[in-house]
Amino acid sequence: MNRMILSLAFLLIGTPSLSMAEAIPGTPAPAFNVTDAKGKAHTLSSHKGKWVVLEWYNKDCPYVKKHYGSGNMQKLQKTYSDKGVVWLTVISSAKGKQGHFTPEQATQDHAKNKSAAAAVLLDESGEMGRAYGAKTTPHMYVINPEGAVVYAGGIDDNNSANPKVIPTSKNFVAMALDAGLAGKPIETSSAAPYGCSVKYN
Amino acid sequence: MTYHYSKALMTWFFLLFFPWIAVAQEQLSADHVKIRVVAPQSFQEGTETTVGILFEPDPEWHVYWKNSGDSGAAPKFALGSPNAVVGPILWPTPKRLPVAHLVNLGYEGAVAYMFTVKPTGSGTLHLEINLEWLVCKEDCIPGFGDLVLKRPVNDQPTRWVADELKIIETFRKSVPSDSESAPYQLEIFQNTSDSLGVRFAKVADRDFKELDIFPVDQGYLSPAAPAKDEKNKHVIFKKNLAMQLPSDLSFVITTPSGVWEFSNVEVKNRTKLPDQTFNFVQLMIVLFSAVLGGLILNLMPCVFPVISIKAFSLLKSHGKERIKDCLLYSLGVLTTFSILGLFFLALKQAGSAIGWGFQLQSPVVILILIVLFWTMALNFLGAFEFGSGIMNFAGKQSKWSSSFGTGVLSVFIAAPCTGPFMGTALGAAATVSAFSAFLIFFCLGIGLALPFLIFAVAPRTLAWLPKPGAWMETLKQFFSFPLFATVIWLLWVLGQQTGTQGWMVASIALLTISFAIWLGDTSKGWKTLMAWLLALSVLFWAGSQLNRYTGSQGASQQESSWLPFDEVQLAEYRSQGKAVFVDFTAAWCITCQVNKQAVLDTQAGQNLFKKHNVILMRADWTQYDARITKALASLGRNSVPVYAFYASDGSGVKLLPQILTLSIIEDAIKNP
Repeated sequence: MNRMILSLAFLLIGTPSLSMAEAIPGTPAPAFNVTDAKGKAHTLSSHKGKWVVLEWYNKDCPYVKKHYGSGNMQKLQKTYSDKGVVWLTVISSAKGKQGHFTPEQATQDHAKNKSAAAAVLLDESGEMGRAYGAKTTPHMYVINPEGAVVYAGGIDDNNSANPKVIPTSKNFVAMALDAGLAGKPIETSSAAPYGCSVKYN
Repeated sequence: MTYHYSKALMTWFFLLFFPWIAVAQEQLSADHVKIRVVAPQSFQEGTETTVGILFEPDPEWHVYWKNSGDSGAAPKFALGSPNAVVGPILWPTPKRLPVAHLVNLGYEGAVAYMFTVKPTGSGTLHLEINLEWLVCKEDCIPGFGDLVLKRPVNDQPTRWVADELKIIETFRKSVPSDSESAPYQLEIFQNTSDSLGVRFAKVADRDFKELDIFPVDQGYLSPAAPAKDEKNKHVIFKKNLAMQLPSDLSFVITTPSGVWEFSNVEVKNRTKLPDQTFNFVQLMIVLFSAVLGGLILNLMPCVFPVISIKAFSLLKSHGKERIKDCLLYSLGVLTTFSILGLFFLALKQAGSAIGWGFQLQSPVVILILIVLFWTMALNFLGAFEFGSGIMNFAGKQSKWSSSFGTGVLSVFIAAPCTGPFMGTALGAAATVSAFSAFLIFFCLGIGLALPFLIFAVAPRTLAWLPKPGAWMETLKQFFSFPLFATVIWLLWVLGQQTGTQGWMVASIALLTISFAIWLGDTSKGWKTLMAWLLALSVLFWAGSQLNRYTGSQGASQQESSWLPFDEVQLAEYRSQGKAVFVDFTAAWCITCQVNKQAVLDTQAGQNLFKKHNVILMRADWTQYDARITKALASLGRNSVPVYAFYASDGSGVKLLPQILTLSIIEDAIKNP
């Protein structure tokens, strides 16, 4: 009887798996299922086999403006989309909060910005943002074709809101993608994210 | 606009669009914030004087500390002077500013960022300050600007306007001093894979009780208030799992004895799990409480009948036989504790954490215990004779295995009765080295086996036991009732886990087994075989029925005043400045149920919570739940009950004693 109880306890409890609710470099990226501004559903697995960039966005955030106003973000989007990278802009602002968009507004804004992102995901529930642990706009994630996070954090190493610092900043997303696409190891896999807080509900 | 346009045109452009940086001066006014230099009227040559840049944001707007927390940005200062030595920025201690489930570190209301100025020559001091800042409410507005300070320098003592000096003195007080003069020391340790501990050495009780601690380095640790363990004098921060920890971290700490900055504290065993180092005396104290905890387990209502019956059987045997029995029983207890200890350590090594009482998180194990206790109770009551020995509950076993088996059984049924001593010892086991943890488990076993070990070592004590006689049979019958009570309790636990369905399945199993016992006991031959077949098949059927519920959500009803535990929601309530009480509980934990019935869910208890607007959350650990296990570990615990109180003022978590009273709760609410 003693052995039976023991083995049962061991078997039934098993090794508990700890689910981490965050995107951590070197681990599989959290799954998501979010509709974009055009009504198309996006999941992580639908982009399997491709490099994916997730960019958290809020049109009124000065740090987002820093990178859009200067054309820096669009340039990155274009450069890497041309190389086959799927660039997804994510809006986790809750309804009524700063940066929240209806699908039409999001499409207009995308066009106005001349954004080269493949889609704008509307995550107004904040579910995807929370799953990734997205804290700021812009908070950036790079996911490799196997579905693992290879970079998480700020877009570069200068948290100034002044666009003038961009040319002299180290862009971690570009560095990660350049290395990853060339099959080289990624030097910096994380950095402190900076910017405005994501406007969750 | 290209570069060769004249500077004048540029200036005009800025004047039009950015009027606040029109003319470099001592003050400027921008969106939602006013900024000015706070300086003396004249400086003394060669003397260091503290100068401030005062930020006055609009009500509810804030500016940031050097670590701005989850979002936001620290202001940037570029200071330059041709004729003075300018020191680094002195940052007053920040406040935690919650935004949804995120936390920022900064200042609501006025703040002066300061620095020292030491004029190197006489004449006019010239100081240029280039600023970039971010002012936020929920939205954020960045600003850029320049300030210029010009003041005479002479050989007279620095001359201040009293009100200006007062501003500097006020903010200077909350600028941390170097840790060398601090009355305590810090040590960083890895707590769990997703949390980091900071231990305070040589800290005064009052200092620890009232301390607040802020991580200086941005991004690595959660800026939210860490959990505080007053007993072990450490705090536990949540780690940002996306970031690799650096080799050292810095902290700012405010205590009644002063404000200190501890720079570059080494992060030990960066990749390994933490090993709390005990000195010899501490280890002895922990081991002693483990023995004491084990001893107390003997008196638990679920264990006591089993132990007593074991003691009876000793009366029947004689001399060496008795000693052998005692030793075998102790061996059973110690072996089980050792195996459990190894299992516990293996899981800990694998990076998981489980808690004491985990055996009872499986409905099948509960079913087996229910059947076992039911059968024992029937046997005690004399409904049937089960072989020859009283304790041959598990079928026809030889005597030695019966003694050994009783030992094993005692450990299993004692497990849920986590006494206060057990909590301390097992909490310690989760954070210490493998060797110490194993010793703790072993000492718990020694405690539980102690009465029988004493019988074995000093057989003379056996003489204190009463002489055998007819009274033994009566007492045995009497003890069937605590066992029936245990069955009722376990059925209730099962009901909590699986709903009425599981309760029904178990009851059918009990009925069928009772019938099988009657059938087998009253006749011989094929009927006995039938009885065995019947009993085994109903056990198998019930087990497979209940197995389906393993890991599924229980049908337990949440009383309306208690919200189910949710970390995100908890953070949100805290950010809204609400007080929250979290009850970490489980149906199989008796202490938990006692506190629930006697304190938490009484009218008086509920009124108390309502009166102080405390949000109630219940983390039900009746079944294994990784999130709750993690939440417990981040509080430094791995067993229930744990009562965590988060005060409305945003200060850290306070853990209340395992035996609750209304006054303890009231005290915690009123004196956060």
